[in-house]
Amino acid sequence: MRFKSFLALTLFCANASAAEPAEDAVELPTPSSSAQRLYSKAKADIVQLRSLLKNGRTQSSVGSGFLIGKGNLVVTNYHVMSQIALEPDIYVGEYVDTNGKRGAVELLAVDVLHDLAVVRIERNGGGFFNVPDTLPELTQGQYLYSLGNPLDLGFAISEGAYNGVIKRSFYGELMFTGPINAGMSGGPGLTVDGRVAGVNVSHRLDGELVSFLVPVRYVRDLLKKVAAQKEVPKDFKLVVGKQLQEHQATMMDRLAATPLTFKELKPYRVPVWESDQVRCWGRANGKQSKSYSYDQVSCAMESALYVSNQTQTGHISIEHKLLQSTDLGDLRFAVLASRSFQNQSMGGHKDTRYTAPQCVEQFVSNGKLPVRAVLCVRAYRKFPELYDFTLLAASTDSGRMSLQTRVDTSGVTYENGLRIARIFLEQASREVQP
Amino acid sequence: MNAPFYVEVLTRSGEVRHRQRVDALPIRIGQGYDNDYILDDPHTSAHHVVIDRNEAGGLDVLDLGSRNGVVHKGKRRERLTIDGNTVFRLGHTNLRVRAADFSVADEMRDTTYHGWEGWPPAVAGLVLLALLALSTTWMTDTDKTETVRYITAIVGMLIAGLAWSGAWTLANRIFAGQTRFGRHLFIAGCGMLVMELTSLLLSLAGYAFSLESLTRYGGHAMIVITAGMVFFHLVTINPNNPRRYAVTAAILMLLGSALTLTFNYQNRGMFAEEPYMSELFAPSLHLTADRSIDEFLAEAGKRKAAIDEERSKVLSEEGEGEGDDEFD
Repeated sequence: MRFKSFLALTLFCANASAAEPAEDAVELPTPSSSAQRLYSKAKADIVQLRSLLKNGRTQSSVGSGFLIGKGNLVVTNYHVMSQIALEPDIYVGEYVDTNGKRGAVELLAVDVLHDLAVVRIERNGGGFFNVPDTLPELTQGQYLYSLGNPLDLGFAISEGAYNGVIKRSFYGELMFTGPINAGMSGGPGLTVDGRVAGVNVSHRLDGELVSFLVPVRYVRDLLKKVAAQKEVPKDFKLVVGKQLQEHQATMMDRLAATPLTFKELKPYRVPVWESDQVRCWGRANGKQSKSYSYDQVSCAMESALYVSNQTQTGHISIEHKLLQSTDLGDLRFAVLASRSFQNQSMGGHKDTRYTAPQCVEQFVSNGKLPVRAVLCVRAYRKFPELYDFTLLAASTDSGRMSLQTRVDTSGVTYENGLRIARIFLEQASREVQP
Repeated sequence: MNAPFYVEVLTRSGEVRHRQRVDALPIRIGQGYDNDYILDDPHTSAHHVVIDRNEAGGLDVLDLGSRNGVVHKGKRRERLTIDGNTVFRLGHTNLRVRAADFSVADEMRDTTYHGWEGWPPAVAGLVLLALLALSTTWMTDTDKTETVRYITAIVGMLIAGLAWSGAWTLANRIFAGQTRFGRHLFIAGCGMLVMELTSLLLSLAGYAFSLESLTRYGGHAMIVITAGMVFFHLVTINPNNPRRYAVTAAILMLLGSALTLTFNYQNRGMFAEEPYMSELFAPSLHLTADRSIDEFLAEAGKRKAAIDEERSKVLSEEGEGEGDDEFD
């Protein structure tokens, strides 16, 4: 039971007709009078941002954005602009304002870690949205209003409540209990007096009205960076790659600062990271089978970085599984354990995003627990020095028990990937010798 | 070369289809009814050849001015000196002439086990197949035991075995005039048994000695065994030419292996069948020394160069989106 289904709020035309749970919520609640007031003031400064195929100019994805001050800079999400950032040969941006006016979009800066981007358009704002140095203080329960163009249906405002900073997310997103739909990504989240509190980013598919905003302080930081920037980066892939490197370093530091927690899968002791960002869930087969028992601890980081609509990275997941024979003989238990260890997906070789995985395998011992270890690595094609690691380990100390571990680390440097593999190989142990 | 002589019509593969005794030389051969040996071949002339003794005491075939002539080893000959092993062609007919004093090959040792025909091998084959189905199902039957799983497995295995040996029986009937169904079924049963045992042995050896290639390329052992089965089926059909069948089976084996390698390379990007060895057995079967974590990670570290090199290769766009990441 893992809750990991987020909806990035870019609307992809390919997905538009797919039956996603989110689409049931097309009808928005009747706005209050403050919503009416806000919308009429904000109307002139919100835009829809489209990513179009250069060839044929058909739209590939849509999101929202808002003009800052009286200038021509628009703030949106990175994931709204990701196609233009990563594949500028294929995609081009376009904006449409509330009057239906269209124009070209120029990407100026991206912040992959916080999912933000700044673009320049061919018109100026009316000065409604401002990101000053002093940011609004939010208190739990206060009303927030979210603007954007849900599902490409037309501009809309929705009302909800601010519910604090999400500790589960890596960079402290805000929880907004209100409807945010696909297409509203990049739109502003406002307080009742019209101050920007955050940027619409995603919602949970498995919940009701559980939505997230990027805190406005990251918008402020990015706008400052844009102001200081002398020229627009030529290749955003390099920028994204650099930011992914930063993220993996932060992730490794956080993990290094988190002491390992040891879970008991008797008679073994297995290491996991359990923190606000990495949650663990357990599972067992109960009494369904009489011949063997099965217990599992899975831990996974709650958030991952969006790179493109097909790639998420900067993630770690840990799974420990203990198979124990109750009345299977050595041979039948060996077959069971082998089958459980078999056919684990490592990624294919035809993928344009990653190289084919390469594996090393050996019998390895840390002095406490001997294991059969397999370590598979694949590289990101678009970003240098970033790899996905999969560590598989199966205990080899007993013919009637098999402790099987799988650790997936995505988007880390080679060195850090090996570091994480080392931690898990070094820390597994057995409490009582047989 | 002494009379009487025997004119033999051969098939293309060299088997005697028809044989006729001629008491004296010369032997006249042609379509006409005034010949010593009459050819039922519209591509021969009424008086095609005459065979007579030459000055050296051997036999000569002399073309009597036919349109299609005498062909030996692909060449047309006016006069051809022959012995008991010379095969020549008139029109579409392959002929050989042997004298009564032709010395034949020694009596072959009879290695055929004549008691092992019919029902006994058939039943043995079926029992083997059924036991194999039973044991493989039992090995993987770790949840609730359901009799129907065993029955389906046995029935499936028997049907496959019967279909396989049925095809060989048909070939046997066509090419050798007898069925030998029992024998073929027995070969199928033995082949499957050898496959199961080999696969277990490879897994055990792979695990025991940390020889991953034994399991990662285990499919080729199965191809070798299948080629062995084909060899025994062929020899059952015709026991006279084991060497030729061995070559046939070897060629099939190489083809099968090459196909498997190509298939794996296209579909998995590697020649092996799996990216790593998944076999796990009891600790007593693990015979090699454990490596240290440092050694293991150093080995993994060495792969970086190869992976980075792979990264620099340009890929076509066709595989876009085949990955397993979702951002729904």
